Amino acid sequence: MAKKQRGKSSRLAEKTDSKEPTEDLNLVLDSSDDEAPEEVTFEDSKARALRNMKHARDTAKRDRELLKEKRRKRQELFQEQKKRKLLPVDVLEEIDSASSAVQKESNDEAGEEEHEEDQREEARPKERRNSGKLVRNLKGNYKVTTVKERAAASFQQRAAEQFLQSRMYGPGSCRTTNNELLSLQNKKGLIKGAAVQFVKKDWACKEKAKAEKIKKRWLHKQQIPSS
Amino acid sequence: MGEFKVHRVRFFDYMPSAIRAMAFNGSTERLAVGRADGAVDVFNSADNYFQEKVIPGRDGRAIEALCWVGRRLFSGGLNGEIIEYDLENLRPKHNVEAYGGPIWTISINSQGTLLAAGCEDGTVKMFEILEEGIQFQRNLDRQKGRIISLSWHPSGDQIAAGMMDMIRIFHTESGHATHRLLVERGVGTAKSQEVVVWSIVFLSNHTIISGDSAGKVQIWDALMGTLVSTHLVTKWDVLALSASQDESSVIAGTSEGTVVQFQFISSSVGRQDEQWVRTRTFKNHSHDVRAVVHTDTAVVSGGMDTQLTVRPLLDKVEKNTQESSQRRIIFPHKSLVGCAKKAGLVLFQFPDHLEVWRLGESDGHGKPGDSLTVKRKPEKLIQLKRKGEDHICCSALSPCGGWLVYSTVSSVRLYKLQLSSNNVSINRVSKLPKELRFVHQLCFSSDSSKLFASSSQSSVVVVGLDQLEWKYLHTLRHKSGSMQPVHLLAPSEDGAWLATANTDCQIHVFNLRKLKLHCSLPVYGSCPTAMAIHPTSSYLVSVHADQQILEFSLKQKEYTEWSRKLQKQGLHPLWLQRDTPITHVSFNPRNPAHLLLHDSYMFCIIDQSLPLPAAETRLLNQMTLRSLPPPERSRESHAFKICKFFQHIMFLDLMEDHSLVVVERPLLDIVSRLPPPVRQKKFAT
Repeated sequence: MAKKQRGKSSRLAEKTDSKEPTEDLNLVLDSSDDEAPEEVTFEDSKARALRNMKHARDTAKRDRELLKEKRRKRQELFQEQKKRKLLPVDVLEEIDSASSAVQKESNDEAGEEEHEEDQREEARPKERRNSGKLVRNLKGNYKVTTVKERAAASFQQRAAEQFLQSRMYGPGSCRTTNNELLSLQNKKGLIKGAAVQFVKKDWACKEKAKAEKIKKRWLHKQQIPSS
Repeated sequence: MGEFKVHRVRFFDYMPSAIRAMAFNGSTERLAVGRADGAVDVFNSADNYFQEKVIPGRDGRAIEALCWVGRRLFSGGLNGEIIEYDLENLRPKHNVEAYGGPIWTISINSQGTLLAAGCEDGTVKMFEILEEGIQFQRNLDRQKGRIISLSWHPSGDQIAAGMMDMIRIFHTESGHATHRLLVERGVGTAKSQEVVVWSIVFLSNHTIISGDSAGKVQIWDALMGTLVSTHLVTKWDVLALSASQDESSVIAGTSEGTVVQFQFISSSVGRQDEQWVRTRTFKNHSHDVRAVVHTDTAVVSGGMDTQLTVRPLLDKVEKNTQESSQRRIIFPHKSLVGCAKKAGLVLFQFPDHLEVWRLGESDGHGKPGDSLTVKRKPEKLIQLKRKGEDHICCSALSPCGGWLVYSTVSSVRLYKLQLSSNNVSINRVSKLPKELRFVHQLCFSSDSSKLFASSSQSSVVVVGLDQLEWKYLHTLRHKSGSMQPVHLLAPSEDGAWLATANTDCQIHVFNLRKLKLHCSLPVYGSCPTAMAIHPTSSYLVSVHADQQILEFSLKQKEYTEWSRKLQKQGLHPLWLQRDTPITHVSFNPRNPAHLLLHDSYMFCIIDQSLPLPAAETRLLNQMTLRSLPPPERSRESHAFKICKFFQHIMFLDLMEDHSLVVVERPLLDIVSRLPPPVRQKKFAT
């Protein structure tokens, strides 16, 4: 309570400061309850309130402007950095057109995707269509190539096939090899035979070719003295 | 008789494709078989299971289910599409995307009006079957797991769906799921893995029979939603189920390669307490059985070992007759090998490429049965990869070795070959005539000046070939009104006649000099499997699926004396009991009375000058004849000289230098490249 009164009196003191400095001192020094409170007109207080509000608004606005400025500067800085990091525009366009001409992407919105692709393809009717690999060497040690074409099977189809494969041939499916099946058939058949052994036909083909050549040469040599 | 030098070719790496789905049409008696590479075969079950039509596959089309609607064939696959096939032009007709992810199963209701497709995203999609194609109608309530199998109740009110760990029964009108039947998981280590209900059958007395990955066949009551009985059939998965027409017998195919039969019978005669009892077990296959079909008299099964096995049920057919024998269909009934007789080249057709090989040479001499030393090994000259994603449907090599042609469902490609001793060059001929569409059989004339291609509406397109150019000559049509595809083309040696046969069992002969129809043979009840025109006498020899041999004279337009004699006496019963069809007929230029025929297991030379064998005599008498002295030999010998030395013959022909080419495909080579089978512990191994 005492504080409030003091605060009031100090404000009053401020207001009257501009007009009557001497009186002010008196007021502050005395601060007794004998004196009647200072009379302040409505207009004055209204003007003071308005001024305060305006002041507050101005400071807020200034703060916002400052923040905006800061943000804009940061954004520009980032754009600059990104531009520096990206590849030149023409390389991107080339790769883009090659991939859209070749592949047939599909996901849940397969129809949408294709529609998009069509639009993209229509928009670039004159661009060169490369199918197959496209290799660009940029400065530094980078090389840009197109990814090898996958079969047109979509992700979902591949996932379904994998599900089937894992249920039938995955872990826990208790499978054996064809070799063992045939060997068991040989062992348990009416005519008992040896286990079946699979031979890789293209095993050591270079060595076999060399051996053939040597054999031919030797045979030829043997024939010459006899003829 | 005849001594031939034989080129025994075993370097054709032919690998058949696994069977994934089957559907039987009882009214037309056709069996459709869907394979893993997307190809669909149509077999005629009334005509000795002859493979009438083959619709080639495509990369990325993985068929999971097939079904018939009247005469129309539909398939659903993991690429999310429902395809309707055009059985007259042997290609897909309509393609409808289901937008539900991969389709695991399709099923038609018994009225033939709605098609239900079970999809990966858990929806059962209903399609209305229209005159031309199908149209999406609505979805049933979406479920949380994938729908692996579907079965309609015969009334069409309810549909049962097999999913992961459960079976749901839907009410088709409202689309809501009314019952949920929980399937028990396997025992032991399999308890942590979800059980997949691979197949399901809904019977008219509201019984559901399901086969799942824990190896159980379970019988459920669909009205109450309760389990009636469980039968543990195998340690591995039960992959396929099929019920007979009268719903008294159900067969289940397992991963072990066995087919188990359950019958709805009572414990003793007269009593009325029928229940489902496991009766027979057939061990038909060495690898997983992916599809089974229960026809009226037989059990047809197919799976990962690529063989189609037909096992007649002995309580439906007479014992010890032709009908009661088991059949195995391993090789296609259409020839995948072509040869250039004058150039000594062979052409191998694979689904994705073609190979041209030059045969080896040997100049040794020896006794019959000897292996001669090879002076020059056979070498692969050309390997031609196909263009596009459709598989190769048919191919041909001209006799001079100068032209190579192949066709897919989308295009025909013709190439000019130049083969000198050390140089091989191949040039494509561009812009072929637009009449060459929907080609399913190709053939060159014997002087390599004309190309014959069978096309739509049972017509044959004739294209003339010059050094480097082609010229469209004519389209040969017949007026019988049949639209069935032409599957056999046989030009004569002198270039005057062309005989064509279509799958409606019609044979038409065209005069090539005048480019019009010469005559049509009387229709014989069985489909022709091989035909050829004799070079000198112009007799047309045709062999049919029921093993009949007919000879027709083109000049007199009537059956020949020899053919009538054969019909009157009848063929030897052992000949009629063979279960693989004759796929090629050719003639011996040195002896005009000889006919050379072969099927998968034997090679036969018919000498028309010798008497025909009576039914009581031995048919395979080559070994005994060799041991007899000459005068007795001439008394005992008969017209059919059969050699069983070569096994699993895919092609046999006589080259210009009088040497035989036999292309064999040992079964062991095919089995060694199949996916792994299940491991079975057997006693003492």
